[in-house]
Amino acid sequence: MKNIKIYFLLLLTTLVACEETIDLDPDQVESVVVIEGLITDIQTYHHVRVTETIDFYSEGKPTPITTASVTITDDSGNTYPFEHNQSGREDFDGYYYPSNAFAGVIGRSYTMEVVYNGETYTATDQLYAVTAIDSLEVIINEDEFEDPDDPNYFYEVLFYAKEPQETEDYYLFKFYRNDSLILDDATDIYFSDDEVLAEQINGIPTAGFYTKGDTAVVEMYSISKQAFIYYNDLINLLKSDGGMFGSPPVNPRTNISNGAMGYFQTSAVVSETAYIE
Amino acid sequence: MKRILLLGVFIPIFLVFSEPLKAQDKQTINGYIKDAENGEELIGVTVYVKELSSGTVTNVYGFYALSLPKGTYNISFSSIGYQTLTQQVNLTKDVELNIELTPAVTEMEEVIITGEAEDANVSDIKMSQNELNIQQVKKLPALFGEPDIIKTIQMLPGVISAGEGTSSFFVRGGSADQNLILIDEAPVYDPSHLFGLFSVFNSDVIKESKLYKGGIPPNFGGRLSSILDVRTKDGNNKKLSGSAGVGLLASKLMVEGPIRKDKSSFIVSGRRSYVDLFLKAAGEKNSVHFYDVNAKASWKHNNNNRFFAAVYLGRDVFEFEDVFGFDWGNATATFRWNHLFNDRLFSNTSVIASNFDYEMKLEDNVQGFSWVSNLQEFSIKEDLNYFVSPSSVVDFGYHVTYRRFAPGKLSPTSDNSIFEELKIQNQYALDHAFYANHEYKVSERLSLSYGARLSIFQSIGEQDVYLYTDPQDNVDVERTDTLSFDSFENIKTYVNVEPRLSLRYMLDASSSVKASYNRMVQNTHLISTGTVPIPFNTWNPSDYYLEPQIADQWALGYFKNVKDNTYEVSVEAYYKDIDNVTDFADNAQVFFNKDLSTEYRQGDSWSYGLELMAQKKAGDFSGFVSYTWSKTQRKIPEVNQDRAFFANYDRRNAFNMVATYELNDRWTFGANFTYTTGRPITIPSARYSYEGYQVDLITERNGYRLPDYHRMDVSATLTPRKNANRKLKSSWIFSIYNVYNRSNAFSIYTRVKQDEDGNVIGNGTEKEARMIYLFPILPSVTYSIKF
Repeated sequence: MKNIKIYFLLLLTTLVACEETIDLDPDQVESVVVIEGLITDIQTYHHVRVTETIDFYSEGKPTPITTASVTITDDSGNTYPFEHNQSGREDFDGYYYPSNAFAGVIGRSYTMEVVYNGETYTATDQLYAVTAIDSLEVIINEDEFEDPDDPNYFYEVLFYAKEPQETEDYYLFKFYRNDSLILDDATDIYFSDDEVLAEQINGIPTAGFYTKGDTAVVEMYSISKQAFIYYNDLINLLKSDGGMFGSPPVNPRTNISNGAMGYFQTSAVVSETAYIE
Repeated sequence: MKRILLLGVFIPIFLVFSEPLKAQDKQTINGYIKDAENGEELIGVTVYVKELSSGTVTNVYGFYALSLPKGTYNISFSSIGYQTLTQQVNLTKDVELNIELTPAVTEMEEVIITGEAEDANVSDIKMSQNELNIQQVKKLPALFGEPDIIKTIQMLPGVISAGEGTSSFFVRGGSADQNLILIDEAPVYDPSHLFGLFSVFNSDVIKESKLYKGGIPPNFGGRLSSILDVRTKDGNNKKLSGSAGVGLLASKLMVEGPIRKDKSSFIVSGRRSYVDLFLKAAGEKNSVHFYDVNAKASWKHNNNNRFFAAVYLGRDVFEFEDVFGFDWGNATATFRWNHLFNDRLFSNTSVIASNFDYEMKLEDNVQGFSWVSNLQEFSIKEDLNYFVSPSSVVDFGYHVTYRRFAPGKLSPTSDNSIFEELKIQNQYALDHAFYANHEYKVSERLSLSYGARLSIFQSIGEQDVYLYTDPQDNVDVERTDTLSFDSFENIKTYVNVEPRLSLRYMLDASSSVKASYNRMVQNTHLISTGTVPIPFNTWNPSDYYLEPQIADQWALGYFKNVKDNTYEVSVEAYYKDIDNVTDFADNAQVFFNKDLSTEYRQGDSWSYGLELMAQKKAGDFSGFVSYTWSKTQRKIPEVNQDRAFFANYDRRNAFNMVATYELNDRWTFGANFTYTTGRPITIPSARYSYEGYQVDLITERNGYRLPDYHRMDVSATLTPRKNANRKLKSSWIFSIYNVYNRSNAFSIYTRVKQDEDGNVIGNGTEKEARMIYLFPILPSVTYSIKF
């Protein structure tokens, strides 16, 4: 349903005469712990990132927390300890990776425990199966061909799949052009439930446009209902109009306890590659 | 479950009062009072019996009745804007006396259609009410040159606007859906055009508009905070006439005239915006337009039976690149029958229908869908006025309303669409109200008005009610059972008694003290996520889960007229307490939600304030100044972590000034000025990143305020002198909106830091706050003709 939101924004900007950057003077608040956790059925995808919120006007990245203790357990009695940034590279400060390689198993539920500064943050999510991507199709987008935003970028990748109708499923999508994640807008998140989806998903356009020689990768993640709710809340917050027509901005509902921001997500992942020739 | 239908009750009441009621030794004088030039019935004309120093006023249909002992009386009929007429009446038997009043103004001037007693501000028992003079509204500066009563309403004391360019208004701490907006008695569910830039009210057809903010009489009900009662003209029954106007944004045409002279008349009016034509000419693929049609016919069968039929149709249509579109509109129809059962029992029977619907449509082979939603209501109202004596009037009646809510249906628009059909089930409701009110003049000084409204609201089938493990859990929604109800089967009944009380005490001939209390009950809830309701918000009846909202309001006021009623001054204080005020839980999922009831939360709201107003109604210079201090808070479970917060429309100070000045018979000048405290807004207190997204941390709802709002507009109306000898009379209205070009904040949002072309600055981790403001200085011109 992202289209509706986009058109609402378009409408707002049509009506709006002007806007400008202003200085807000928010009350100072204590920093809050933020956790981004991901466990998948692919060994190399796991990570738990622990940071703290920073002032709204601060430059740079949120403050990494490097001294937390991070453990993942599953409902089959396995425990997977995580360690902070084994590579030691500064870019990965705040990132925790498994001490021993493992892959998530479809059907299991996983619990994350993060202990920092005497506080314990826990979250549980279930790893669901994901349907296969049937194929990707590369077409020329006629509007872009006639009037491209970026010269020569007028190929579009369409996505085909079968949505199993007997199960209640939720999906998250990521699109890559030559290994870089692409978003049509910095606040876009591509996710869906299957409430209104029919069985045949034929030719849904993916984000961005491509040029000859590009490689397009589409990743589809299964997510739980709670993760769907989290992403839905998150996109509402990212696209908030300040509460004039839409709802006032509010923190997303998370599965993490004890007041932390972020989400702990478990997913099965499938991907498909197309070459633009 | 037993079926309960109360339609039958209506008949017995009716019979009781169709019996002739004759008081001994007293004779009745009654009749209609009309404008001598166009035959419009006049509302609120004072009928004064000199010998008894007492009298009455005409009701909303222009009817009056007085019951007096036999004798000879001098009776005067007076109203602002009309020459007072005095007639000697020898009352030996019941007399019907229909009066035509001649406008006091010169023929060049437009006719003021509504009137009221010169000292009504002080002497009338009603408080917390404002009448809008439509002729004055037309002379005031208007956005894009389109006069709009709602823009003037937003300047009244006790009324707050959501922001520039919105048609929502907020009365004494009530949300926008707590206003009952009526056009010829039919409710208008969304009064906005172009998302609120204009209201649906075409100033060419308005006869009277009145806003009730407190002391609401019991013939009104169903909403908590205000009644906006707009009545359209009946049409000139003396001669064919009309008007046309061409503005920057819209053009309009109105024609009225007799069908049979003095017997029946019609009025038809249309208005359409034409921005879309300019946009199309400029090669723009996005388009937007709106239109309104008002039509009315009235005819007098005889003096005891008059009939009116009125229709309103309006619609907004938005199109984006022939791909995405949405539209919404209201349609209302009213049929009224005024009947005199006998000299003193006046009856109005109305049959009313109202429809509101919207549609969204995306034309796409793969993602195409359409979403259709509508709301319909049908009602029958029987209102009776019984004129017992000059000091005693009893009003009573019965209203029944049937409502059908169709929240939405999603359908794929092509065979290849990825969408399946989805329908949110309909809801139905039946609403009965019985009321009675007695207005009684206890003494020369003290008048009382007391009454009550009994509201019986039923949520009825056909509907499936879902039961949940926890009906308030909107994350793990778990249905445990379904209760199925047949058509018209009772699901839940809410019975409420709403007492209404007003009193006025004259301190001296030119000042009075008034007090009022009213309880109001609201069973239709418009739950909007934002500050300004948009047409795509959904109305929901009280039902298995949602309980009626109940407001209690106390008001106290001092009223004073000075210099022979030239200036009217008032001070009012109020306190309003609302139970079960309805809101959405934080993060509510509003669209396509079959379990929407899990997102509803009901809590408390309270508001208090002080309102000052000074007004000058007649003369070359007229207008008003108002100041309001108010405070409105809410406390709703699971909103703002259960803590109290300021309502979206809480503004501490509001100052408004509206003035027109008639320099000579060619030029009239108008100006308005408004100043209000900025509205509360939610802003981030910190930020963080998640999966590469830059996310705001929110700690307090409405914890911050937009900058103060202020703006001044001016206008000049030119009526050329040559008009006097012309059949077509023309006029020009020049206006400048926001004359000193103030950038007023509309909203604040945040985004990743970007330059003016939208390119991200730095590595995309920094954020910035953006303030949106709407209208800079905007001149406009409107050309109008009357014939």
